[in-house]
Amino acid sequence: MAEEISESPNDPPPETPPSPPSEPEFDSKTMRKTKPGLKRLFLTFTVLVSFLLGFPFLFKSVEIYRSPLPFHDIDILSNDVVSNPFLFPCHFQAIFVPSDPKSSSIDVNLDELELSIRSKITKLASKGIGSQCGACTNNFTLSLTLDYGDCTQSLSKFYKCGSIRAVDLDFSDNESVDEALESAGLDFGGKVYSVVVVVNGDGVEGVKVVVGKYRHAWIVGRDWGVEEVAERLAEIFVKVFVNGGREEGLIHGEFMPVGADGRIVLSFNLLNADPMDWTYDWDFQKIDETLLAPMIDVLGPIANISVESQVLYYTPKFTFSSWDEKLGGYTLSTKDLPFFVNSNEWHLDTSIAAGGRSKILQFVVYVPSAKECPLLLQLPNGEISKTNAFISPMWGGVMVWNPQSCSRDSDSELVRHILSPEDLQKVFEVFVGQFRQLFGLKSGSLHVGALDTYSLLASEKGFTEWELDFLSRQHTCFNIHSSTTTLGSLSKLVQSLPRMIIMDEIGKQVKFSLEAANLARSNASLGFYDASAVSSRQARSLAEDAFFHPSIMSVSYYSFEHCFAVYSPFFLPVSMHVLLAALREWRRYKQEKAKYLLWKAKGKVAS
Amino acid sequence: MELPSRWVFLLFLLLSSAKAFGSEVDKEEFQEELLLKPLPDRKVLAHFHFETRAPPCNSNGLHHHHLFPKSISQMVEKFRVKEMELSFTQGRWNYERWGGFDTMSSNNAKPPGVELWAVFDVPKEQVDASWKNLTHTLSGIFCASINFLESSSMYSAPDWSFRQASGSLRYGMLPREAVCTENLTPWLKLLPCRDKAGISSLMDRPSIYTSLYYSQRLHLTSIASDLEGLNSGIVLEQTLTVVLHPSSQRTGLTHFSQSYLQPSWSLSSIFGRKVNGRCVLAKSSKVYLQLERGLVSQLKKSENYGADYIASEGYDGEANFELSVNPDRVIKEENSRNGISSSLLYEFSVDKYSNSKPFDLGLTWKFPVIWSCQQAPLHASRFLMGSGNERGAIAILLKSTDLNDSSLVANSAMDGCELRVNIFQVVPWYIRVYYHSLQLFVDDQLKAVGAFVEKIHVMPSKDKISPGMMEMVLKLPCGVKSAALTLDFDKGFLHIDEYPPDANQGFDIPSASIGFPDFHTSMLFPSNESERKSPMLSKFQESSPVLLYTEVLLVPLTTPDFSMPYNVITITCTVFALYFGSLLNVLRQRVGEKERLLKSKAAAKTGRLSDLLSRLSAKLRGRSQEPMQSASESSPLINSKLALKVLLMAALAVAWQYYFG
Repeated sequence: MAEEISESPNDPPPETPPSPPSEPEFDSKTMRKTKPGLKRLFLTFTVLVSFLLGFPFLFKSVEIYRSPLPFHDIDILSNDVVSNPFLFPCHFQAIFVPSDPKSSSIDVNLDELELSIRSKITKLASKGIGSQCGACTNNFTLSLTLDYGDCTQSLSKFYKCGSIRAVDLDFSDNESVDEALESAGLDFGGKVYSVVVVVNGDGVEGVKVVVGKYRHAWIVGRDWGVEEVAERLAEIFVKVFVNGGREEGLIHGEFMPVGADGRIVLSFNLLNADPMDWTYDWDFQKIDETLLAPMIDVLGPIANISVESQVLYYTPKFTFSSWDEKLGGYTLSTKDLPFFVNSNEWHLDTSIAAGGRSKILQFVVYVPSAKECPLLLQLPNGEISKTNAFISPMWGGVMVWNPQSCSRDSDSELVRHILSPEDLQKVFEVFVGQFRQLFGLKSGSLHVGALDTYSLLASEKGFTEWELDFLSRQHTCFNIHSSTTTLGSLSKLVQSLPRMIIMDEIGKQVKFSLEAANLARSNASLGFYDASAVSSRQARSLAEDAFFHPSIMSVSYYSFEHCFAVYSPFFLPVSMHVLLAALREWRRYKQEKAKYLLWKAKGKVAS
Repeated sequence: MELPSRWVFLLFLLLSSAKAFGSEVDKEEFQEELLLKPLPDRKVLAHFHFETRAPPCNSNGLHHHHLFPKSISQMVEKFRVKEMELSFTQGRWNYERWGGFDTMSSNNAKPPGVELWAVFDVPKEQVDASWKNLTHTLSGIFCASINFLESSSMYSAPDWSFRQASGSLRYGMLPREAVCTENLTPWLKLLPCRDKAGISSLMDRPSIYTSLYYSQRLHLTSIASDLEGLNSGIVLEQTLTVVLHPSSQRTGLTHFSQSYLQPSWSLSSIFGRKVNGRCVLAKSSKVYLQLERGLVSQLKKSENYGADYIASEGYDGEANFELSVNPDRVIKEENSRNGISSSLLYEFSVDKYSNSKPFDLGLTWKFPVIWSCQQAPLHASRFLMGSGNERGAIAILLKSTDLNDSSLVANSAMDGCELRVNIFQVVPWYIRVYYHSLQLFVDDQLKAVGAFVEKIHVMPSKDKISPGMMEMVLKLPCGVKSAALTLDFDKGFLHIDEYPPDANQGFDIPSASIGFPDFHTSMLFPSNESERKSPMLSKFQESSPVLLYTEVLLVPLTTPDFSMPYNVITITCTVFALYFGSLLNVLRQRVGEKERLLKSKAAAKTGRLSDLLSRLSAKLRGRSQEPMQSASESSPLINSKLALKVLLMAALAVAWQYYFG
C-alpha cells in the first residue's frame, strides 16, 4: 500500500503546473489534459466489493445448525386429517335363524329390511350418535343372511351357512349362548359385528336382547314387524358396537387417560386414616397377577400399562362427615367430594418407574378411622352410593372401604388385618368399573335402548372385544389428531424463531412421527384397529418427544439481537467509511472524466 | 365376574406359599429408636435411628410394598443401587468435645452440606449414567440441588481409600447446600408414621434447626437374593443426629454451685415435645440413654462404686444423677480392653406409653461431673496458605491428641509401631493442585514423602471435566507429635457463565476425609441380647474404622466484571473501525491537489484570517512560509511523511493484533 501511495503523487503533476500559454482556451477548473487516474477508484471499489463478498462468509460463520424439518409433509398431513376424517371400515351382519327350521318359516324380505336398516343407521349418524371421531358409520357394509340350515339366501361372505342352530342354544343362559356363538365362527375372516336374530324363540317372553363379550349380539323374540327388527338392529350396530355403548354426558373423548408417551401407571393406594384404630393391609401381588394382568394384556394396543401399589398410614381425609341416625353411619354428600382428597397428607407420589410424560392414575382405598366409621357417600337424591366410590377424571378413583365392625381393636395388641380375598374382589370390581369410566365406557351391565333394555355381558378381562375395538378406533383418531396438532405447533414455532438451534434428533423424531401417523392412517383404512392404535400411539409420543426436546426447551439460542450487538460496533463505522469513500471516488472520477472529455473536445475543435 | 374357582385357587396358592415358607417368610419391618447422650461440654446428643427393611420378594421383581417407601424401592430397582448414603449436614462435628473415637462420630459425623456416595450394580461403563440419573431422582425426592452432582467435574470415583468398591463407586459433595425443613419433610415421608406418631413426633422443627449440629442421613443397602440381582431386599436406615444445648433447669439443689453442675434436661425441655406412644407400625420403639466410658469411670471414681456398680445398676438415689423414668433394662458394654470402664445404656421401651401418659425422660444431675471423650488418634485440620488471587497451598495438619497413647501403643505394637492414616481429598478443577509439590513435615521436620507414604493414588484434574482426587495411605511412627502435608495450587479461571450467582463469596473445597484403618470402633454387648437385637445396637456392634472429616475451605477466586465481554467487544471494534477508516482515508488522499486547492483559495480570498491561518499552519509544519511556486518541490517531502504515518499506523495495528489477538 505504501508503494501505491508513493506513486500517487505522480498523478497530479501534469495538471498542477500552470498551463502552457500555447493553448489559451484551457481552463484548469473545467478541463484536464490527462486521463483521470483509476487507482483510487479501483482501490475503494476493491475494498467495497471484498466487504460485500465477505458478508456471506460472515453469515455462514454465525449460522446456526437447524436440521431440516419436513414442513411440507406436516402441512399435507394436517390438511389431510382435517379435510377427510378417518374412515374406519365396519362390517355388520345380521343372521336370521328360525328356532325350528322345519316347523316355522320366516317371512322376511331381506332387501326391504336392508334398506330400512341403512336408512335408520344414517338417521342415527346424522343425529350425531356414532359419528364422532373414530366412528365408522360413514364406511360400513351390511349383509343380511337368512339361515334355514340349507344356505338358500346367504349374502354374507363371512358367515358359513348352517353353523348356528337355534335348537342347540339355551337362551336362558347368556354365557353359554355367547360361547356357542363365538365357537360358531361368525366373524369368519374378519372383524364383523353380527347380530343373530332368533325368531320364535322358545321359553322367552317378549323380546330379549343380549350383547355378548365378543363381537356379536342376539335377539330372541316372537311376533314382530320388519320396522321393529330394523330399529333394534340399527340401534345395536350404531349405539353399541360403533359407539361403545356409552351415553352422552359421560367423560368426553378428549380426556384420554393415556400419557403422551402412550403409557399409563396404575397406582393403587391403601390408605389407613388412623392406624391407632386399626390397620389394614392387602395382598396386592396376587390381585395383580390374577385380576389386573389380563386386563392390562387386552389393553396392550391402546396403552402400555404398569401397576404399582403402596400402603399409607395416618392419612385423614380433608372434609368432615356428619352422623346420620337413619342410615347408621357418617355420611358425606356429593358436594363435599372435591375436598375429600387430602393432598397434604396423602403422599400418593408420582412414580419414579414411569417416564416423564406417562399418565398416572391413582386408585385409592380409604379405610376410615374409628370415629368416622362407617363412612358412607350420599348421592344428591339422598340415597347411599352402592359402590361407596367416586372418580375424578384424569386423576383416578377413590373408594371408601369400611371395616366389618367399626369397633376399635384393643389398645394393647396391634393386629395388621389383611383384607379378605372376597373384600378385595369387591374392591377391584369397583376399580375396574372406575377404570372403564375413566376410559369413557359404561360401568353398568344394562343399556337402555329405544324399544327395550339390552343386557351387556361383562368380560372377565374388564373390557369386551367390541369395547376394545371402539377404544382402539377412538384412540387412533385422538392420537393422530393430537400428533398433527403437536407437529403443526412445532413447525410454527420453528418457523417463527429463525435463530433457534434444531438438533438432528428432532428432525428424526418428526420424520418417524410422520411415518407412524401415515402408517396408522393406512392401517385404519384397512380395518386393522390394533395395529393402527399402536402406530398412532407411536406417532403421538414421537411428536411430543420432538416438541418437548430439551434442546428446544433451552432458552440459550443465539438471538439476532445478540448477533447485532456483537457485530455492529465494528461493521457500522467501517461500512460508513467504505461506502462514503466509494461514493466520493466515483463522483470525482465522473467529474474528472467530464473535464478530460471537455478538453479532448476542445482539442479536436482546435485542430 | 366369574370368581369362585379363581379365588379358591388363589386361596390355595396363598396357603401353600405360607406353608412353604413357614415362619421364615420375611415381612417388611420398621423399627424406631432414639439414643440420648450427655456430652462433656454440657450439650446433649440426640440420635434418631429408623430402619425399614423390605425382604427380597419372591416373584418377578415387582414390588408391592406395605411399609417400605415406594419411591426408594423404585429408585433402587431402576438404577440398580447396591449401596448408597446421602447426608444433609449443618454445622460441624466437634471432634475434641463430642468424641472422635466412637461409632457415633465415625458413622454419623458428616461434612457440612450434602455428601452422596453410591455403589451401583451395573457394568462399569454404565455407572456414570446411573449416577447422573440417581442424582436427579434424589434431588427430586429431597428437594435439594443434588442434581449439581451430575456434572462429571463434581464427582469422583475413589478406588480404595473411601470404601472398597472396584470402580462402581461414585462420590460427590456439595459443601454449600443449605439444609432446612424442606429436606426433612421428604425424609420423614419415607417413614410409615412420618412425624405423626412415635419417636419421630419429637422432631420439633424450631428446636432441631437451632441445634449446634444437625445431620440427616439416609443409608440404604440392597441385598441381592439371586445372581442377576433383580430381586433384592432393601435395608433403609435413616438417622438424624442433633446436638442440642439444654437450657439448664433450676433444681432444688443449692449446695453445689450451678455453674459446675451439668445442665439437667428432659425430652420436653430440649425438644419442646413428649413422646405420645409409639408408632403402631413399628416392630419396636425404644429410647436409650447412653453414658459413655469416660463418664462412667468418673462416676465410679466419685461414688467409689467399685465392683458393686453393676449390681446397683446405677440409677438409684445414691447415684450422681436421677432419671425421671425407671429404665426397663440396663445394658453394660462388654469391654474387650481392660483398664477402661465400659459404657452403660439405659433402655426405655415406649410401648407402654400413650396419649394419656406421655413418655418424658428427664435427667437431673446431683453432683458436678467432669469427663472427656475418647479422641481419635490424631486430630486433623486443614487450612489454606498463601495470599493473592493467583496461587496458594493447601495444608493438612495432623496432631497427636495424646490422650489415647496407651491404647495406641497397645494396638499397633505388633505392626512395629506404625500409625496408618488414610487421606482422601477431592479438589475441584479450578484449584489446580500440583501434586509433585507434595511436602510432608513430620514433627516439624521436612521429610522425604516416599519414606512415609505406603500407597498413593492421584488423579489430576482435567479442566471442566473432572476434579482432582488424591488418595493416600500414610505410615507414621506412632510416637508422632504432628504431621503436616502441603500441596501447592494455582487458581484457574472459570468461563464467565460458570460462576455462581454469588461469585464474590468464594469457592468451597469439600472436606477431606481422614481415616485410621488400624483403629476400629465397636461396642460389644452381652451376647444374650442378640434375640432382642435392635438395629441401632447392632449397628454399634459392627466394627467400623475411625473416620473424621476436615473443615471445608473457602478459596476466593478472581471475580470478573460480568459486563466485560460486551465492553471488550465494543472497544475492540471501535479501535478496529478507527484504524480501518483512517487507513482508507489515507489511501485515497490526494495531497498535491489539496494544496493546490488551498492555494487557489488563498489567492482568491486573501482575507486576513485565512492568511493568518495559512501562516500558522506553515509555522506548525516547521517551515518558513513559502510562496506558491514551491508546491512541486515540497510534494516528495510530504509524501515520505505520509508513508511514515502509514507505517506507524500499521505497526500499531500489528502490535494490537499481537497483544490482543
